[in-house]
Amino acid sequence: MSKLLIFLTLIPLLPILTTSFSPENPSSRRVLVLLDDLALKSSHSVFFNSLQSRGFDLDFKLADDPKIGLHRYGQYLYDALILFCPTTERFGGSIDLAAILDFVDSGHDLIIAADSNASDLIREIATESGVDFDEDPAALVIDHISYAVSNTEGDHTLIASDEYIKSDVILGSKKIEAPVLFQGIGHSLNPSNSLVLKVLSASPSAYSSNPKSKLSNPPSLTGSAISLVSIVQARNNARILISGSLSMFSNRFFRSEVQKAGSPTKHEKSGNEQFLTELSKWVFHERGHLKAMNVRHHKAGEADEPTIYRVNDDLEYSVEIYEWSGTSWEPYVADDVQVQFYMMSPYVLKNLSTDKKGSYFTAFKVPDVYGVFQFKVEYRRLGYTSLSLSKQIPVRPFKHNEYERFIPAAYPYYGAAFSMMTGFFIFTAVHLYSK
Amino acid sequence: MLATNLYGMSFSHGIFSLPLLFGTFGPTGISQSSHRHDTTQHNTTQTQHSRIVSTLITFRMARNLGGFLVLFLAISICEAASIFQPISDSHRSAALELFSPTDGSFGSLEETYEALRTFEILGIKKRPDISAASCQSVSETLGSSTSSLKDVFHALKVNSILKCKVNDETFQGVAKRLKAVLNDASSLLDFYYSIGSLVLIKDQNSGVDVLLHDADGVFRSIKALSQSDGRWRYSSNNPESSTYAAGLALEALAGTVSLASSEIDQSLIVTLKNDIVKLFDSIENYDDGSFYFDEKLVDAREHQGPLSTTSSVVRGFTAFASVTSGSINVPGDKILGLAKFFLGIGIPGNSKDFFNQIDSLACLESNRVSVPLILSLPATVLSLTKKDQLKVKVNTVLGSSAPPLTVKLVQAFISGTKDSSVIESLELKFDPETAVHFLDVLPKSVDVGNYKFVFEIVLHDSEDKSVYATGGQTQVPVFVTGLIKIDNAEIAVLDSDHGSVETQKQLDLAGENAVSLSANHLQKLRLSFRLATPRGNIFKPHQAFLKLRHETKVEHIFVVGNSGKQFEIILDFLGLVEKFFYLSGRYDIELTVGDAVMENSFLRAVGHVELDLPEAPEKAPRPPPLAVDPSSRYGPKAEITHIFRSPEKRPPQELSLAFLGLTLLPLVGFLIGLLRIGVNLKNFPTSAVPATFALLFHLGIAAVLLLYVLFWLKLDLFITLKTLCFLGTFLMFVGHRILSHLASTSAKLKSA
Repeated sequence: MSKLLIFLTLIPLLPILTTSFSPENPSSRRVLVLLDDLALKSSHSVFFNSLQSRGFDLDFKLADDPKIGLHRYGQYLYDALILFCPTTERFGGSIDLAAILDFVDSGHDLIIAADSNASDLIREIATESGVDFDEDPAALVIDHISYAVSNTEGDHTLIASDEYIKSDVILGSKKIEAPVLFQGIGHSLNPSNSLVLKVLSASPSAYSSNPKSKLSNPPSLTGSAISLVSIVQARNNARILISGSLSMFSNRFFRSEVQKAGSPTKHEKSGNEQFLTELSKWVFHERGHLKAMNVRHHKAGEADEPTIYRVNDDLEYSVEIYEWSGTSWEPYVADDVQVQFYMMSPYVLKNLSTDKKGSYFTAFKVPDVYGVFQFKVEYRRLGYTSLSLSKQIPVRPFKHNEYERFIPAAYPYYGAAFSMMTGFFIFTAVHLYSK
Repeated sequence: MLATNLYGMSFSHGIFSLPLLFGTFGPTGISQSSHRHDTTQHNTTQTQHSRIVSTLITFRMARNLGGFLVLFLAISICEAASIFQPISDSHRSAALELFSPTDGSFGSLEETYEALRTFEILGIKKRPDISAASCQSVSETLGSSTSSLKDVFHALKVNSILKCKVNDETFQGVAKRLKAVLNDASSLLDFYYSIGSLVLIKDQNSGVDVLLHDADGVFRSIKALSQSDGRWRYSSNNPESSTYAAGLALEALAGTVSLASSEIDQSLIVTLKNDIVKLFDSIENYDDGSFYFDEKLVDAREHQGPLSTTSSVVRGFTAFASVTSGSINVPGDKILGLAKFFLGIGIPGNSKDFFNQIDSLACLESNRVSVPLILSLPATVLSLTKKDQLKVKVNTVLGSSAPPLTVKLVQAFISGTKDSSVIESLELKFDPETAVHFLDVLPKSVDVGNYKFVFEIVLHDSEDKSVYATGGQTQVPVFVTGLIKIDNAEIAVLDSDHGSVETQKQLDLAGENAVSLSANHLQKLRLSFRLATPRGNIFKPHQAFLKLRHETKVEHIFVVGNSGKQFEIILDFLGLVEKFFYLSGRYDIELTVGDAVMENSFLRAVGHVELDLPEAPEKAPRPPPLAVDPSSRYGPKAEITHIFRSPEKRPPQELSLAFLGLTLLPLVGFLIGLLRIGVNLKNFPTSAVPATFALLFHLGIAAVLLLYVLFWLKLDLFITLKTLCFLGTFLMFVGHRILSHLASTSAKLKSA
């Protein structure tokens, strides 16, 4: 009986105990890591340690472990998934392609690392995310011009790339000095997918082919069209990282010194650690996650929100936007937030001014068109979660008594009428009583 | 223990080649635990060597059926060849990173020992000072009579390195307790810990009597746990045998031998040696020449990964070898293979693995059976142009110098063609200062290319041959690079019909070019160049692409083929119009030539060609959609401001006022007219009643007019109509009265 009592008192505490993914706390917390081989835990420990030190709870499992599952009793057990199992043909447990897609569709994050012998399963997951790996299973990205100089790797498949996407939110504000080492397969972005972005691309001289066999046909992937690392931000703000190389996450590449061919500078450490740490911060929503709140609008000089505006009213609009820093919501500072006053198409589109403390505001005149309008904030920026706010508000025309009276141009009409009336009055008297 | 329980850990060495196939059958009907066996493809562990594509597929055929068939099939595209580097400074810096104490200690005594032992082996002097806290922990553990055997064992191990001040009585007490445990020990771990601890006490304090009087008996009881295949059971009531346990048992037996007060029965030693040989029969291997031990029966609880299993066997084997005389019949290449396995891991990322690797290598380094020698090349990419020397180093696994020996380059052949060797039997010179074997100049027969060099170590001293394991021939992939000469580069536009040259331009592919050509669909474009190696041979690069890029960013790539001596590509535009999507206009020409062994690989813009292609027919294919620049998809939109309707044009106020005046004029004219005709009010009724009605009638009219004014100013229609209704009725009444009065008056006048 007492046990039951304790149980019942604990039930309301449960939501407090679970520190999971929520709109208020968007960072992923519990991460399932699927490996081909548990030795990866040791050989890629720097990457995993950096995640753990940032508070992530990593759960390492073999990809073919029959006990693994992403959800139980309708609840997801994890907030994010790391697939470091390029050769896995089939996952164990209840995980399959559809389960992973559902996982992402419900707003969870995913990191996929493929490798030269990537299985069809991993390729399919990547294809569903909008990138296509080179179909030739033996193909590697080769670059005879911007390769990493090495005494022992002579086949130029170890690439030193520094062609990053230019975005502070994705790669952090600190510049990545050293090139990133990459050894693996390349992929191309599906041109019809607007959500996928190239984060690290190959140089114009790169191509994807089997280094051991002679080329007779042009390779399917060449030049800067080859993406080495790509990211996807789905419409539900789930984030995916796709890399064609598993070794770029490894301790060996993290610690390796790097010198790009043709460049005199030799960096003591490759840029991999900084690049992937920053990128993982982005993927796990420690950066670039926005929220908007306190949308307010009112007539100029008033404080309350009206139920309807009249054409030509002056109004003030304000919204607060915050960015998640991994631990707290910080004011978001930008100068390109815009509000639209929208009915079928925007009638007014205006940049919002900010007080740098998260508040954005502007004032404008309601257009002289009546109908049902919306205040719309459609904020889509590279690397940030998209904000889409809309608030409906009707706009009415002037009432009959709100128009202008006694227009000077009408004085002749007034004069005519009144003179007529005066004349009539005099005429009645004169007509009746004059002799 | 959990940390070591890495499931199915195995390391590959970047290269898997020949199909690796093995099946294992566990004892039937014993374990119902789930069987999981993973395969690995782990390319990153090898410190630095070329990485060759490999594929490894696991088929799991059966599970939970009592017998397991595990099929590992490794398919690879290329042949095995890899080099292993001995332990170097990168291990030392990694060790300091991995073993960093928190609050002045490493946590448990076991971890402390692992850290200290690793630092000791690697010769790291600047290790963190943790002796105070650890020594206290050591004396506490040894002083307490309730501390577990395992803790005592590790405390003694820590003490063997730190040399803490532990008094003789404590040692006496511990030794007594250990002997008591030993007397009624039944499980292997009890034996292992107690004997191990006694050996450590013997080394640390010679005053304590640790010798075993019944060494034979102890030996037999440990031996009783062994299985016929050389593996061991943990205890007599646990039927599962394990390779990991075999290592522990060997170490315990070695301890027994060293603790024996009298000579151990030689027949026991001989059977044990046979057991070791059997154990080594079960060794598994990768195709790059590395050997390892793995548990055959995979039990989730007890399972140790290949690294810890191999490490345990190596420790036990080397310990046993060091205490017995006579040879143990284990081939040297298996020992070398074990060393390669440990070196192949590279730098492990966790401390347990790191310790196992370093400790096992240290055991192998000083083992009595055969000491592995590792042949490594500081560089396998050699430049022919820079005249790089071929250097080979031979070291022991921990990087110390090898005995006098000669390295022979037995053979060198172009990879892929095994039969045509370019070098046969060359002896490398030795530079004693740098301890490097080198070849001054590569022989003339070696051109740029991708080679396999086969080395052999020949020991000078014939006695060394029994001490060291050299592993026969070692195959190493070597890239010989060089500057490639490019000449005879020219680009030309040809007439299709006659093949006559229309325009021809020479190209300097080493510098900038900006040719501008023009062609139509009836012509051809020819690009040709010649490549020669530093030795003057024709060079065929892996990458020779010609890229045509249209203004609209549509790209076409062609592989430049070689015809005999020179590279040539002829683009017949007539056949390519469809491929070019009938897009006329400027095409930029880019030539990329590159190869792994070509030091001057280039990507060069050659110029452009103005193409005049026919109009596209209706059904012509459309150019593919191009990737959109992501920045164009984002970014702020242009501001939109609503344009309000402009107010209607109005006349100026003066004009309105003038017209107001004009509209008032008729009234003024009317009034003047009235005055002119002499109006009067003589007809106004004189009697009181009609006069009142007349007044009321006119007041009524005035009221109606006033109502109109009010309607104009403020009243709405409803009030106005209502009021008008009343006023109208009133007017009707008074109007009727006054008008009828007036009418009767005028009728009277007429009649009068």
